[in-house]
Amino acid sequence: MSTDREQVLSEFVDAWTAGRRPDVDDYLARVHEADREELAAELTAFLRFAPTPEYSDEALETIRADPIVAEALSAAGGRAGLLPALFMRLRARLGLSNAEVAGELVQSLSLPADRAPKTASYLDRLERGELEPSRISGRVFDALARVLRVPRSELEGAGDVGGWAAPAAAFRATDEAADEAAPHLDLLARGLSTPGAAARDEVDDLFLGGR
Amino acid sequence: MPFEPDHVLLGKFVDAHERGDLADAAEYWERLAVNNFDRVKNTVKGFRFSAGGPGIPPDEHGSAASEAFLRVIAMSAAFRKRETGRFYAALATCVENACRDFGRKELRHQKRSAGSLDRTYEPDGEAGPFDAALAAYDADLRRQTEEALEAEAARQEAEGLVAWGIARIKNDTYREVLELTYLHKLSGEAIADRLAISLDNVYQRRRRGILELDRILREHRS
Repeated sequence: MSTDREQVLSEFVDAWTAGRRPDVDDYLARVHEADREELAAELTAFLRFAPTPEYSDEALETIRADPIVAEALSAAGGRAGLLPALFMRLRARLGLSNAEVAGELVQSLSLPADRAPKTASYLDRLERGELEPSRISGRVFDALARVLRVPRSELEGAGDVGGWAAPAAAFRATDEAADEAAPHLDLLARGLSTPGAAARDEVDDLFLGGR
Repeated sequence: MPFEPDHVLLGKFVDAHERGDLADAAEYWERLAVNNFDRVKNTVKGFRFSAGGPGIPPDEHGSAASEAFLRVIAMSAAFRKRETGRFYAALATCVENACRDFGRKELRHQKRSAGSLDRTYEPDGEAGPFDAALAAYDADLRRQTEEALEAEAARQEAEGLVAWGIARIKNDTYREVLELTYLHKLSGEAIADRLAISLDNVYQRRRRGILELDRILREHRS
């Protein structure tokens, strides 16, 4: 004789395969409390390698409209890719503020403690999507991975998804273009040759120097 | 966008990467992630920190699923395989890691605490639970190629890691039911009809077969 648990598992398998989008919670609720943990393990064992059902157009639309999916896809299409969203989520889960992450980061990178505020400001920029992930050094990814306790490859991967891939510029110069651009270029050259108020330091190199 | 199976999307994703078309690659991966969202969400709900132990509190399922789903999308930066079995293995590893990380929530501010929930992440040093089975599977494919059994190797590659795992189930009756479940995608009733057995028998064999397949793919040692 099969048990209730075996029947419920099998019915989940059938519902999954038919694309009816079964929910684990509904099936766990159908068995006695004492059987739930084992059924949960069996359901996840099935889900690991279950063939993806052939979803209808309607089902796919419903999945895309799920707030979790919509938020993630929107983040992936953002200017700085997925890294800001993932960083914020990991930081929030650990209950850490940016200042606290910066404090741990500074320690992990063997930087002087007084660099923590500047590091925190870079983390703020990262969260706002104002920092290009490809400019962040591998050492920062290593340290962030330790602080946030996730594999470095996932953080780097999040930085590599979408964003910052600027389209190729297309110029069509008129005859007067050179004369019109010249004053702007002069101004830009003067700006670049003028020493800044604060010298670039190690923190800048870590967040802007690239991998 | 109409449904396309995972193996088709994976192939298109890798092709797009190979020709340097990152926009197309991102679109195919996004569709793969959508196809697999229910797998992610349900895995989070069914996840347990240890056998028979507690899972993620229900009021945190949404946050855990959000984090897991973001991490699945981030996988696209490094994943370049065409086969669904490998994709499912990588996805399961990623989602289960995200779930385990939720178990560390209480350990915030405690660095390097001991305990099964606190596996230290070394950069790129994480070995997945399916690595041994994948390595053995690769070795089998290589051996077949070396032995010039190219047709057999191609067939196995097409059927994938799951078929390879099912073929290693020793009990014929479990294996038969799993082939009809995973590869032919038959319902329990259809399997009962096909094999002329009772539904109760299908239920039993399915459960035992699923657990045996999971054990083979997780614990395989060559």
